[in-house]
Amino acid sequence: MPVRDLLRTSSKLSPFQPRYDHLLLLVCVLGTALPLGVDCNPSAENHQNNGTQKKAFPVLSFDYLHVRLPFEIALWILLASLMKLGFHLIPRLSNIVPESCLLIVVGLLVGGLIKVVGEDPPVLDSKVFFLCLLPPIILDAGYFLPIRAFSENTGTILMFAVIGTLWNSFFMGGMLYAVCQIPGTGLENVGLLPSLLFGSIISAVDPVAVLAVFEEIHINELLHILVFGESLLNDAVTVVLYHLFEEYAGVGSVTFMDVFLGVICFLVVSLGGIFMGILYGLIAAFTSRFTPHTRVIEPLFVFLYSYMAYLSAEVFHLSGIMALIACGVVMRPYVEANISHKSHTTIKYFLKMWSSVSETLIFIFLGVSTVAGPHQWDWTFVGCTLLFCLVSRVLGVIGLTSIINKFRIVKLTTKDQFIIAYGGLRGAIAFSLGFLLDKHHFPMRDMFLTAIITVIFFTVFVQGMTIRPLVELLAVKKKQETKRSINEEIHTQFLDHLLTGIEDVCGHYGHHHWKDKLSRFNKKYIKKCLIAGERSKEPQLIAFYHKMEMKQAIELVESGGIPKIPSAVSTVSMQNIKPKRALPQLSKGKEEEIRNILRSNLQRTRQRLRSYNRHTLMADPYEDAWNQMLIRRQKARQLEKRMTNYLTVPANHPDSPTMMRSRLSSDPQGYSLKLNSGNVPAIVVDPATPQSPESMKLLDESSKPGEEDQGIVMRAKLPESSRTDDNVFPPGEDSPKEQRLIRCLSDPGPPPEEEKDDEYQAFLN
Amino acid sequence: MGCNGSTLAKIHNLDELILETGFSSSHICRLYDRFHALDKDDKGSLNRSDFQNISELAVNPLGDRIINAFFPDGMDLIDFNSFVRILARFRPVDQNPKKEPNAPEPINSRVNKLKFAFQLYDQDKDGKISKNELLQVLRMMLGVQVTEEQLESITDRTIQEADLDGDNAISFKEFKKSLDKVDIEHKMSIRFLR
Repeated sequence: MPVRDLLRTSSKLSPFQPRYDHLLLLVCVLGTALPLGVDCNPSAENHQNNGTQKKAFPVLSFDYLHVRLPFEIALWILLASLMKLGFHLIPRLSNIVPESCLLIVVGLLVGGLIKVVGEDPPVLDSKVFFLCLLPPIILDAGYFLPIRAFSENTGTILMFAVIGTLWNSFFMGGMLYAVCQIPGTGLENVGLLPSLLFGSIISAVDPVAVLAVFEEIHINELLHILVFGESLLNDAVTVVLYHLFEEYAGVGSVTFMDVFLGVICFLVVSLGGIFMGILYGLIAAFTSRFTPHTRVIEPLFVFLYSYMAYLSAEVFHLSGIMALIACGVVMRPYVEANISHKSHTTIKYFLKMWSSVSETLIFIFLGVSTVAGPHQWDWTFVGCTLLFCLVSRVLGVIGLTSIINKFRIVKLTTKDQFIIAYGGLRGAIAFSLGFLLDKHHFPMRDMFLTAIITVIFFTVFVQGMTIRPLVELLAVKKKQETKRSINEEIHTQFLDHLLTGIEDVCGHYGHHHWKDKLSRFNKKYIKKCLIAGERSKEPQLIAFYHKMEMKQAIELVESGGIPKIPSAVSTVSMQNIKPKRALPQLSKGKEEEIRNILRSNLQRTRQRLRSYNRHTLMADPYEDAWNQMLIRRQKARQLEKRMTNYLTVPANHPDSPTMMRSRLSSDPQGYSLKLNSGNVPAIVVDPATPQSPESMKLLDESSKPGEEDQGIVMRAKLPESSRTDDNVFPPGEDSPKEQRLIRCLSDPGPPPEEEKDDEYQAFLN
Repeated sequence: MGCNGSTLAKIHNLDELILETGFSSSHICRLYDRFHALDKDDKGSLNRSDFQNISELAVNPLGDRIINAFFPDGMDLIDFNSFVRILARFRPVDQNPKKEPNAPEPINSRVNKLKFAFQLYDQDKDGKISKNELLQVLRMMLGVQVTEEQLESITDRTIQEADLDGDNAISFKEFKKSLDKVDIEHKMSIRFLR
């Protein structure tokens, strides 16, 4: 085979790569995503050969090198994704072992394989990690952060993030230093500052690991947001402590001034990061206001601005994670009001995809780096690290909760505390930070790295695997899956106003007061700038309602027209959505007219469909409802004029569909309302009432004997005898404004064939 | 404006009040101070205009209703004890209630909180939130930007969602049920300062 020959040729030409062809054969497993390790240069020799003598024109050539880097990156990502697929094919594995563990194991295997082959496995490069792999995960988390839960618990989260991390760092650092000072461990060279540095690296709860594990256990929202929020916000603390100790570890001492500057630095780092994020978020929101004509690139703006926020924050050594979170949070309400539905879906799925890929790659690389990295195992150090990690976490959580509970409305129970403590997982950030340490300043770097990896493995494997059974065992409340109903939305807003008022009466400037002030400010100034056109005035409730209606409209179409939602009138607003978004502007009057027509037809449609459901008649999927309804109406109206017998029912005031439904369901002889323009007393039957299979059939028969139509055909069941002369007529709707449902009293209820006549007779008497 | 014995002495039936509402004496002191701050004419009781003087209530869409809630049974004046009793409903729920089987429900229990909210909806006090009442509330909350039809649609939808017995109105039980998943204990509580 020519390829083989070329392979052999190339291997001859490059004596430095004895196993190059084997590598290619194992192509789907091997490869280095990062330009480390493999160094070869056969291409130079190839070109030299070409210059001197004329070869035959190469029909098929092999040149791997010029695509090597992208090829290998793509291979790694492909490998990661295939692994992910693989796990879910094994039925029970994914229930017992969290995905992160499996991915680390895969990484270990891959690393082992590479080592066996003789190559140098790539190590997780910190630059790649911080610049490429981490941002998508954080953006995904920030963009979809549940704001309500987060803002209600901000105090608690900040306490855990800032004070908890500080406590952890100093406790760990101090205790490790003390242990190292014990003569006989051989670790006397570990100074105080390096210990503290190590403590600060290892103490931060890692968002990637927390996300990976907590997502699978579906714990209730409060705990989720507490642990997750803590993992996000402790980035600022970690950054400051890391830089502080790293700077001065070389010098050897830290003065009070440095500590003071450190505190200032912390404020600058966190607030600066947040400010950067807010700035970019507002710019992004403003940009999205002008995108109605270029919908295709809307998602791109979201991603780019967020990434720029992250990078800009990193330029100034501010907290990139907080910038990213702030950007996502600020940007989201305005951007979502401006962009199209499809862009929203695109953003959602791209974010999920990228963050998923990133997470997978991070864990695999953790595994590979474990195999690759220089290790120095020291039982005392590693063991003590692990022990102190756990102890400090538990003590920290208990101590902080006792303080926090004095200020919380809903206190944290012991169970909650346990889960919070147990959920403090460490992950790749700690590893990367450790990897960044300079070997000259920190000769014990390898030992640190080993310890970090051990802690990561322990937390991810042991804690990650056991947290799910523990959650079950302790019967911790799980996440509630259902989405909000409109009742909840309305009442929650109502309660918000109520509580704000009560707070004002008490003179107490609490949570509701500030929230109210913020939302009023938002509505008055900001929304006007950042949201395009009419949407800026739309109250939140209406937006929510529209979203709900839209969803149900989609469901309606997808399910083929048989809805499960109870409301008939609510779909009215379906058409309210459209004019605002897509259709050209009609005059108000015309819009009104169209709306009325549509509404009246919708009502009929809904009730007709519902009647199908109840009587389980075989109805075809009701696809072209409109046109057929309209056609049928017209025909029916024509037919009405040819009626002979009429009976009119005195009507009550108009009932809402609920009333009609409930009444009609209980009493087959429904009453109905008023009728049309008066002079012709008409018996009109409402074809949409629940017991109208009969009426429907009759309607069908009477109105269009010869017409073939799709939707509401019940021809198969039409017995001739069921036809009575003097009832059933199609509804007369002379004008669109008349939306009353008229019905003939003498129309029998939904009795089966045999009884029908009796009832009818009985009724007439 | 501290909490001292003389303030406490001015309050009638202090112990009874403490027992009934569950406030501590320092809470009650604070509320007393607030009561007097609102009571501009120093009459010892509050009328509606005193409440209307609170500027934030004026911009609150539900301001009028809240004020009315403080004056039950059509009275025009409210004394301190009633003031405290109404505010007691918003005290955070006690975490570990010592429940005796026949003890009356504490004034700040979840049910009582919901009852208070329900009363704000149900102006005619027939025990149900009718469509009209809901419409009024929505109109107050949503203001002028919304068309009448939209309001109607939302109202109808809301009632249909919550209405279980088909009477086209929301009874207290249905109200309670629709708010099952909302954390009322948290939402309807104010952290009274110590």
